[in-house]
Amino acid sequence: MADTPKDKIKYGLLKFIDLSGFKVFDPPVRLAFGEDPKKQISEIGKFMILPIIFVSLCIFIWSAVAPTHKTKSGAAPTPKQVWGAWEDNSRFGEREDEKLEDYELSGEARTARITEVESRISELEAESLKLEEASTIAAEKGAAITAKQIAPLSAQLDELKAEIKTAKASRKIALENLAAKVAAGESPASSVLTLVQQQSETAEAEKEKRKILDDQIKEIRDNPPESIKAAQLAANKAADEIQHFKKRLDILNTSNKEVKKAALLAKVDTDEAILAASTDPSEIISKSKSIVTNTENAASVDEQRFAPTATIAWQTKRSLATVFVGFLIAAIVAIPVGIMCGLNKIVMACLTPIISIFRPVSPVVWLLIFQIVVGAFFLPDPAKHPLFTTLNQDYWFGWIKNPIAFLNTNPAMIFSACTVAMCALWPALVNTALGVSAIDKDHLNVARVLKLGFWARLFKIVIPSSLPLVFAGLRISLGVGWMVLIAAEALSSSDGLGKFVWDEYQNGSSQSFANIILACFIVGIIGFFLDRIMIILQRLVSFDDGSSTA
Amino acid sequence: MVCLPLNRGLLTPAEIKMKKTTLLALAGLSAASLLQAEQLDVEKDSLKFGFIKLTDCAPIVIAKEKGFFEAEGLSVEVIAQPNWKQLLDNVITGELDGAHMLSGQPIAATIGFGTKAHIVTPYTLDLNGNGITVSNEIWEGMQENDEKLQSDTPPHPITADSLKPIVDAAKDSGKKLPMGMVFPVSTHNYEIRYWLAAANINPGMYTSTDLKGFTGGDIELSTTPPPQMPATLESGKNVAYCVGEPWNQQAVAKGIGVPVVTNYDIWKNNPEKVFGVTKEWADENPNTLIAVTKALIKAGKWLDASEDGKLINREEACRILSQKNYVGADFDIIKNSMTGYFYFQKTDKREMPDFNVFFKYKASYPYYSDGVWFLTQMRRWGQITEPKPAEWYAETAKSVYLPDVYMKAAKMLIAEGSLTADEVPADDFDGYKPATSDFIDGISYDGKKPLEYLKSHKIGNKE
Repeated sequence: MADTPKDKIKYGLLKFIDLSGFKVFDPPVRLAFGEDPKKQISEIGKFMILPIIFVSLCIFIWSAVAPTHKTKSGAAPTPKQVWGAWEDNSRFGEREDEKLEDYELSGEARTARITEVESRISELEAESLKLEEASTIAAEKGAAITAKQIAPLSAQLDELKAEIKTAKASRKIALENLAAKVAAGESPASSVLTLVQQQSETAEAEKEKRKILDDQIKEIRDNPPESIKAAQLAANKAADEIQHFKKRLDILNTSNKEVKKAALLAKVDTDEAILAASTDPSEIISKSKSIVTNTENAASVDEQRFAPTATIAWQTKRSLATVFVGFLIAAIVAIPVGIMCGLNKIVMACLTPIISIFRPVSPVVWLLIFQIVVGAFFLPDPAKHPLFTTLNQDYWFGWIKNPIAFLNTNPAMIFSACTVAMCALWPALVNTALGVSAIDKDHLNVARVLKLGFWARLFKIVIPSSLPLVFAGLRISLGVGWMVLIAAEALSSSDGLGKFVWDEYQNGSSQSFANIILACFIVGIIGFFLDRIMIILQRLVSFDDGSSTA
Repeated sequence: MVCLPLNRGLLTPAEIKMKKTTLLALAGLSAASLLQAEQLDVEKDSLKFGFIKLTDCAPIVIAKEKGFFEAEGLSVEVIAQPNWKQLLDNVITGELDGAHMLSGQPIAATIGFGTKAHIVTPYTLDLNGNGITVSNEIWEGMQENDEKLQSDTPPHPITADSLKPIVDAAKDSGKKLPMGMVFPVSTHNYEIRYWLAAANINPGMYTSTDLKGFTGGDIELSTTPPPQMPATLESGKNVAYCVGEPWNQQAVAKGIGVPVVTNYDIWKNNPEKVFGVTKEWADENPNTLIAVTKALIKAGKWLDASEDGKLINREEACRILSQKNYVGADFDIIKNSMTGYFYFQKTDKREMPDFNVFFKYKASYPYYSDGVWFLTQMRRWGQITEPKPAEWYAETAKSVYLPDVYMKAAKMLIAEGSLTADEVPADDFDGYKPATSDFIDGISYDGKKPLEYLKSHKIGNKE
């Protein structure tokens, strides 16, 4: 069949879909180009619609079950709450951006922004007032409902308490009477024992009864109507927003770069005027000092950075950078070592014990080891270590803008990267060794016939023919690295998604659980894409799979 | 043109003049607060401070959020730390410039109990703020042992006397009740020990070989990170714990435990957290340290500002602290303890205006006598293994607490008009609080007589 332009597009698309491993999109593309519609529709039904229905069903079950599953931080979050957490986190990130922008703003734009923010505050305040009222009303209503529920129970409890008290008193009298009888020889001594036993049993039963009531009351108190919490959260959210806008106003008015500088320079000016007129030697000294300090400080305002706050976007970027560095280290170590193992049985025999012993070790252990071993290189003052000063400089050699300055590299990040490298090393190493040792004997024989040298043999035969397995190993490595990273960051408190999860756990707020599940999705989705990228790379280097590399 | 970052002091006079004329118009009313502050020539203007997610980190957070650090020309990053050990390690390695620390931490680090490093403190962050929470089961037991507790609003303070029979019964059946505190040299450890020992329950001793502090104890007191406290109470890993806020209020809100006593009842206005830096850092950055102290004093004062006996800024402080990058707990939970109230049970809300003291009573001054008290506790429970002379206590406290820095900062603030002289101790103050017997057991403490104080307790080392 001749290739029409349409066909070209079609096969181009299909090739790309195949390459990236998104086989599900194959039928829709074919359908769009009118190829065997009946078959495609049935494929779409089987491999697209059904999975979508299944996932929707899972989400539906999740939303239905979550509210009924009580945990110590409230009910389990529903999909809606997790989505809310996503929105809150995005808003949190936006707020940081807004603050940063306000900090840098100057001139007309700043004054315009001030009016804008002020008007927004008054709007928000009106809104917040309403919500606050609604919350108070909800709380009162809720309290009334709770009180109403508790009232009969508490009356019952009081009754029971009184009953128990009289029963206790009468038991005491009965016991005393019996004891007196025994003393007088009218009853056998064992009867007292029986009575004491009986009485302690009744007392126990009474206690049980009381406990049941107590627990009921406690249960009601511990579970106030949901509406209270919802109204409170709404009011809180509005108040938070106001807080943010007030902070922005603060920044615009006082801590803005331009304002700060102007204030300092103005102070220098007044001081200069005083200095010129002054006759008091001590004042002359103090003013001169102050002029110098303020001039210097005014100059340094320009290089001062607005102190950042960790947002989830920044933490995600940092996690990606960490896993990338760790993965790179793993690849640089694993591939040469793997090739050597594959080429030489003795090397393999030497390394096997090391590989087998260290491979199963937990990332947590590696992290602790690296904190000590790698940490030693950064002594005495890690903050001033050339590695970090170089990585965190704003400009390299004074003029190249440093693209990774925003990552704020620190030892904790290096430890996490090393941990990732250590755990990601093994799959790549083992697979490379396997790939090299499994090279077709014919290929090696050809090399022998052609009398190829070591390097030529390595680069012309060994590496090319083992690449598919090497990449298969690297793919597993990246997956392992990404999984390990979260644990490493949580433990080393290196800013990233792992620390996000850990901080949320420590926060213990009503939002925490939803945020942790949110992090779970972010980690999963990023992991998925990383894997796809590796699949594409793997397919690009595969010779054996004719369909994917034409 | 390539954009070069401006270096300090590189502005020529002509440039300054030019900038002044263009910018002067801006420096109107809006910059008034900045103009007030006399900026110091700071050695380092970008700083990183660490904190633990507890409400008493407030002065550091407030100094950042309300712009007090900025007014001193400092750009400060405030970073949550996972636990006290890592926080201290990060300060020692220089990863952090300074941090929110337990009062015992600088002292312990300086004398070499745990990680050794010379840490100093120019500022006390707060007084009080802790509570002891027991599980529901223990609370029921205590109620059975003491009729007075069988009420929705029992009389306070509650001593450990009603706990004693439960401890003894458990011990007889071969079990030591497990309890939690946050760190071996934390105020919480000393407070729960004090509370237990006041009711004749031996909390266990540290020895040179027993670094867990279990020797001879009637109970087992072990370390649990604050955020995990409620979970351990629920799972039964601990039956009681001593911790800062919001973790006691959290237990009430979730209905898993009952706070029985606050440390205000154990010792009225006891020192709680300090701001710590390494000695090395303090020597290298003397002006920066003063600038930081100035900002912290302002923040403390802001937190304790009151009108007609009502704390006016606390609600805003709670709002800020509830942000997820700071304490991150729910606003309502933080509010429970920080706005002058404390919930002992859902039905028992009490006024506790002094539950968190950040500034009043001259609280933020670094008192030598506070350092000595922590040293006496370390000796009492065997963390300091050898008996020491009285002078050693005084010298150690003097090497850790830096009232000079505090007073320098305070004087500058007084000159700027943001502080009055009667809000800080007088110039000739010697750093020792007068003797007090505001303890739950009524024993008197005089910082100048540490050895006599050790002798006055029934349980623990006496010399």
